[in-house]
Amino acid sequence: MAQNLSASHSEEVSSTRKVIAASSVGTLIEWYDFYIFGSLAKIISEQFFPKDNPTAALLATLATFAAGFVVRPFGALFFGRLGDIIGRKYTFLVTLVIMGGSTFVIGLVPGYATIGFWAPAIVFVLRLLQGLALGGEYGGAATYVAEHSPDNQRGYWTSFIQTTATFGLFVSLGVILVVRQSLGIEKFTEWGWRVPFLLSIFLVAVSVFIRMKMSESPLFAKLKKEGKTSANPLAESFQKKDNLKMVLLALLGATAGQGVVWYTGQFYALSFLQNACNVEFVQSNLIISIALVIGTPFFVIFGSLSDKIGRKWIMMLGMLIAFVSYRPIYTLMYADANLKNKTEITEQTTVETKEAVKGDNNVTTTVTKKTYTDGTTYKETKKLTVPLDEAKKAALAEAGKLKPETKKETVLSQNIFYKMIGYVLIQVIFVTMVYGPIAAFLVELFPTRIRYTSMSLPYHIGNGVFGGLVPLISTRLVEATRPGPDLPPSDPLAGLWYPILIAAVSFVIGSLYISNKPAAMDVD
Amino acid sequence: MGIVWAAMGVGIIPIAIRQAMTEIAKKPSEENWIFWSIVLVVLMPIIAFSLITFGVFALKGEYESID
Repeated sequence: MAQNLSASHSEEVSSTRKVIAASSVGTLIEWYDFYIFGSLAKIISEQFFPKDNPTAALLATLATFAAGFVVRPFGALFFGRLGDIIGRKYTFLVTLVIMGGSTFVIGLVPGYATIGFWAPAIVFVLRLLQGLALGGEYGGAATYVAEHSPDNQRGYWTSFIQTTATFGLFVSLGVILVVRQSLGIEKFTEWGWRVPFLLSIFLVAVSVFIRMKMSESPLFAKLKKEGKTSANPLAESFQKKDNLKMVLLALLGATAGQGVVWYTGQFYALSFLQNACNVEFVQSNLIISIALVIGTPFFVIFGSLSDKIGRKWIMMLGMLIAFVSYRPIYTLMYADANLKNKTEITEQTTVETKEAVKGDNNVTTTVTKKTYTDGTTYKETKKLTVPLDEAKKAALAEAGKLKPETKKETVLSQNIFYKMIGYVLIQVIFVTMVYGPIAAFLVELFPTRIRYTSMSLPYHIGNGVFGGLVPLISTRLVEATRPGPDLPPSDPLAGLWYPILIAAVSFVIGSLYISNKPAAMDVD
Repeated sequence: MGIVWAAMGVGIIPIAIRQAMTEIAKKPSEENWIFWSIVLVVLMPIIAFSLITFGVFALKGEYESID
């Protein structure tokens, strides 16, 4: 008897592991697909959205923002409804195929130079499809895993789904770095950037094959068998007061704060290293990648802990220490990378100037290299493009556009490099605190018949809108402190006020109104 | 506290509109238009609607029974 029970238990564990593996791999691939577009935004912009064509440039902006802000929540509604009517398994299989297919096709689309306006138009539509698919994927995967998990281990099992967003970002950065380093910058810019997109089709094929073999979630299958599925999940989710109030609580008390903490710790940190601290491309990506790898297991640790002490206070504590410590952390990051705080070895400073005629222009490139006593090196490349035609030259000078393009690259010393990893790691830990338990928290808020729809919308508004706006709003806040067009911002940390404010409001609302008791999930 | 959330939701509407008009008037660039359009069309309505509705629910004591 005892042997039978033990065998049945180990079968159950093995089956749950398969469910988690199948769901997590697919979700990871979706995040990978979504992030490579963002990580390669500069190259994609050059290939498909030339700045001299205003419509194409507008499409570029829309492609960047629309996929996150508008389409993700719509994907959540569209696929959430589908998942609550026909089932979780088939819905998140469809989202995976759409995401993988559109990513693969982006890698095949000829550039603007070859097919003109069709290039940005096709890429724009494909990016929208990516956003739509992502909006449907996460809720499906989290719901599917949660509905397979026992009540006392739901935080633990769903936390594996939570690792996929960070791991997806890590894999996308890793693949881009490996392809870029093996092909060289020139080949990578020319055609190599397509490789990470094309690679997606193989990953998706494997994941679809695994997911096809999975069965429907037991709770949804039971609901369907009993004929209790919702006929109109959208109306039930958002028109009935009892459910709408929970959707609003999930958004304002949890996902909005979680979204800004997530984006600050992973994306704003990278942007800050590259733009405010001028840390060189490979080194800044390495700092983020290493911090992500070290930090990722904490999703599981906090997810598991939430099964024991409740979800609420782990998430709230994460938000609290995040908004309290962001300014001190970023002050340290800025100070440690600031060249004004270092001693230059002046005898090692070199300045090289080259002049060349390129087309109708005379290009003067000045490269200044500096070394500092702590081992930090700095390279400044100034490129001045002057038209050979005197009239054009005079017109540009009069318009104040005859200025050199300046590229600043700092390679930090070993010591500062490790310190930077530490600063980013602390922020990744905040992310794991708010994000690790949130899938279990969200699925437990809503009944099985409308769970997919109800949890997907607040998640994607919190992450897509509140979180997704962190880079845009933060950049604007920093720019607002710039005393003049060519002067540095007086407060390079001003961008942190947006995530600090949103996380603080979310913390207060969550602390006051969210329950710390994990709810049991059953067919309702 | 419900009144606080609802008031914040209502208050954010004129603040965002006034700020957008001032900033666009100061520098009517395409970049500025796109930024403020996103704020006014996407972010502000979501914040205002959710805070007002949440505040009304909180005022009515809808969240007291959660525990």
